[in-house]
Amino acid sequence: MIVAENLVKDFRVHERGPGLLGSLGTLFSREHRLVRAVSGVSFEIPAGTKVAYIGANGAGKSTTVKMLTGIMTPTSGRALVAGLEPYRERRRNAANIGVVFGQRSQLWWDLPVPDSFRILRGIHDIPDAVYRRNMALYRDLLDLDALGNTPVRQLSLGQRMRAEVAASLVHDPKVVFLDEPTVGLDLVLKEAVRELVNRVNAELGTTVLLTSHDMGDIRAICDGVLVVDRGEVVHSGSVHELLRTADTRAVLFEHEGDPAAPTEAIALIEARLDGASATVVDGGRIRVEYPTGRWTSRQVMGLLLEHFDVTDCVAPEPDLESVLRRIYTGGRRPAPRPEAVG
Amino acid sequence: MTRAGTVPARLRRYAPFTAASLQGLLQYRATFLINALTAATAVGVQVFLWRAVYAGRSGGMPGGYDLPHLTTYVLLAQVLGLMQANRVDEEVSGEVQRGDIAVSLLRPVSYPLARFAAGLPVSLTNATLVAVPVVVLYALLLPLSVPSPQGALLFGCSAALSLVIGFGVNLLVGLAGFVTTNIWGVRIVKDSVVAFFAGQVVPLALMPGPLAAVAQALPFQGMVDGPLRLLLGRYHGPLEAASILGVQLAWAAALSALAALAWRGAVRRVEVLGG
Amino acid sequence: MRPVSTTVRYARLTWQLSAVSMHRLTEYRMDFLLGAGGLLLRVVCQVAVIGMVFRQAPEIAGWHYDQVLFLLGFSLLPRGLDRMFTDQLWILARKLVQNGEFFRYLIRPVHPLFSLLSERFLYPDGFGELLTGAGLVWYAADRLALTPDTAQLLLAPVLVLCGTLILASIKTLFASLAFWTTNSFPALYAANQLGDFSGYPLDLYHPSLRWLLTWLLPYAFTAYIPASYLLFGRAPLLPWLFAVTAGLVALALAVWHRGVDRYEMTGS
Repeated sequence: MIVAENLVKDFRVHERGPGLLGSLGTLFSREHRLVRAVSGVSFEIPAGTKVAYIGANGAGKSTTVKMLTGIMTPTSGRALVAGLEPYRERRRNAANIGVVFGQRSQLWWDLPVPDSFRILRGIHDIPDAVYRRNMALYRDLLDLDALGNTPVRQLSLGQRMRAEVAASLVHDPKVVFLDEPTVGLDLVLKEAVRELVNRVNAELGTTVLLTSHDMGDIRAICDGVLVVDRGEVVHSGSVHELLRTADTRAVLFEHEGDPAAPTEAIALIEARLDGASATVVDGGRIRVEYPTGRWTSRQVMGLLLEHFDVTDCVAPEPDLESVLRRIYTGGRRPAPRPEAVG
Repeated sequence: MTRAGTVPARLRRYAPFTAASLQGLLQYRATFLINALTAATAVGVQVFLWRAVYAGRSGGMPGGYDLPHLTTYVLLAQVLGLMQANRVDEEVSGEVQRGDIAVSLLRPVSYPLARFAAGLPVSLTNATLVAVPVVVLYALLLPLSVPSPQGALLFGCSAALSLVIGFGVNLLVGLAGFVTTNIWGVRIVKDSVVAFFAGQVVPLALMPGPLAAVAQALPFQGMVDGPLRLLLGRYHGPLEAASILGVQLAWAAALSALAALAWRGAVRRVEVLGG
Repeated sequence: MRPVSTTVRYARLTWQLSAVSMHRLTEYRMDFLLGAGGLLLRVVCQVAVIGMVFRQAPEIAGWHYDQVLFLLGFSLLPRGLDRMFTDQLWILARKLVQNGEFFRYLIRPVHPLFSLLSERFLYPDGFGELLTGAGLVWYAADRLALTPDTAQLLLAPVLVLCGTLILASIKTLFASLAFWTTNSFPALYAANQLGDFSGYPLDLYHPSLRWLLTWLLPYAFTAYIPASYLLFGRAPLLPWLFAVTAGLVALALAVWHRGVDRYEMTGS
């Protein structure tokens, strides 16, 4: 459904020094350099899947999404969304996609939300039945009626985001691009937005591309993950596969023994398991963290069972955030030198 | 206010607003060129209009102005207009509408003074980068009347006071954003009505009696007509000159007080409604 | 076949948008009154200035008081219409490119320009200008005891329409500069400001200025030329009206498209 082939995007950046003197400087010079925001990204997202596109700030993900939505033309390479090159056939592509761009509104700023939807219905030629079904769904899940007749510009971020998400889906698009769709929402509404997206995906087979800093969104919605770093895809696979790349795992356990004196137990574990660390967490449980390259979980569990009278034991999944943090900070190649021009 | 040290020390707190404003301005260098063009065309319309009037009339001087005097008036009226276009109305109403005004309450400075500090460089930049070239251009093209040194001195004081009046008006217009969302409408009213009663389009002396009386009673005449009467020596004796300045001073004080009052009302509103 | 269905589609959308806007008009009555009232006051000030000018001389450059009022009133008709439909261009010039919000016109399956204009459709402030303009024209025509012939009556709405298109094109042209400069508000403002010349007889001005207002920024075709035709039954430049309108619309659309292309390249 979404194909990116060697997508490249370069920007010209005008040099500007800091402070007043810096901006005075721009009066007289127009030096600039080229910055590569996206460097040869390739991937393919099959129809009906829900993929998270994640990366640190400045990883080039919003630029990539802009190229996929047709807002931006790539410097080189090619993108295909539902069989169209978005930037070439923007208007036809627009009929196939829905977009939420986080903080930026796509609604009619001066109009109340119901009017925006009435207009969207017109410009997308939405059949009556579809429009009615969708509006009923949004009323149900997002409580859109509560927004009333307030113009969009006077809504709070949370109120507006509900309308934005609904507006991106109202014409039953084949693909929906969601950039920070739950920003500003409380937990209940976050849940509602996630449920809405999942439901639309299940019922209509809508392909979802999500960019978010909210790990909760990613885990609740997505089945696949693309990790971008410095404009290149560094990981592609399921969420599960991504988690498996974690270089440390942890086990928490409780045992029959003196809970007041865990020092002995900790010393024993750290002595037997080279590179592992043990700490006491609340409730008196001991948390053992070990490098996955050095020890298998079988070895660790064996050791624990051998030396302790284990009464309870959990092995939590690795934390997505720390996995990502390691990818961003650990896997860094030296930065390509920006090419100086003019 | 008195707690926070000496006056210069307190004033220094407002310097960042001035610097930031100047920096913002310099990013749009095209603005100055365009402002110059706008002012030049406005002067153009007026001058052409009045030249046609003088050509078509049968003697006597309208309101006692001869053509070079009137041309000077029209030209400098635009210059004063430029200096009073300090963007304060736009910036304040923008902050009100975006709700950013609440953030201003967190700063340890007086908001009106901070706005004044930010508006001043706009005025001065407009005066130097825009007004000077426009005046030079017309001085080369048209006969102007050269003011006396005394007139120029009085004009300087008066122009400074007119900046305060103009600032007060703009701040009040900006704060109107609390009352209506159609700030654009308020500004249209301001731009036309204020300019008209300030004497920016037609000197007060040319207005019919009752209209001139209304204009004299409003604060706006201190923005353009007052300073230019002083510059062109259109007063009888030092007493009248002093009274022009005195009235300006009184209006400057009154408008500042009114702006402070309006600001206090705005703060209360933000505190209650959250912006 | 396709052009027809496209036209029908846009006509239907226009109708829908108008309905939505009228609905809004009644809801924000205060805003509407303020905007329309503000424009009314501005016209009152302009009329006052004209009155004061004519206190000094009975005739200026061959024009009488009522004729100048007629011209001023006529100039407000295309202005009001233009303001009713294209005022979102001001927002484009001022901030839509700068803050990146222009994207939303590119993700809707309608022409981006239409999509842009749709956000301030039937903007109520324009009614103020339109109504005062009509009132002024009516008043002046009555005092002049104007008796238009059939051709004049038939042409009058066309003249207003062409004037509107010219104004809208000038606005589009200068607002589109924002695609290059991110903020073209000053340029648009200046161009708009020059339009103030057009409320007065062009005979007042230096020939170079008259030439500029006729051929460079053809404001003359929005008021002076059509009003002269309606007042005096003659306007030598009137035959040029359609060519100028068509040319300017084409130019404005071309610049707009180049600008959107550029936006797609840089995203800013």
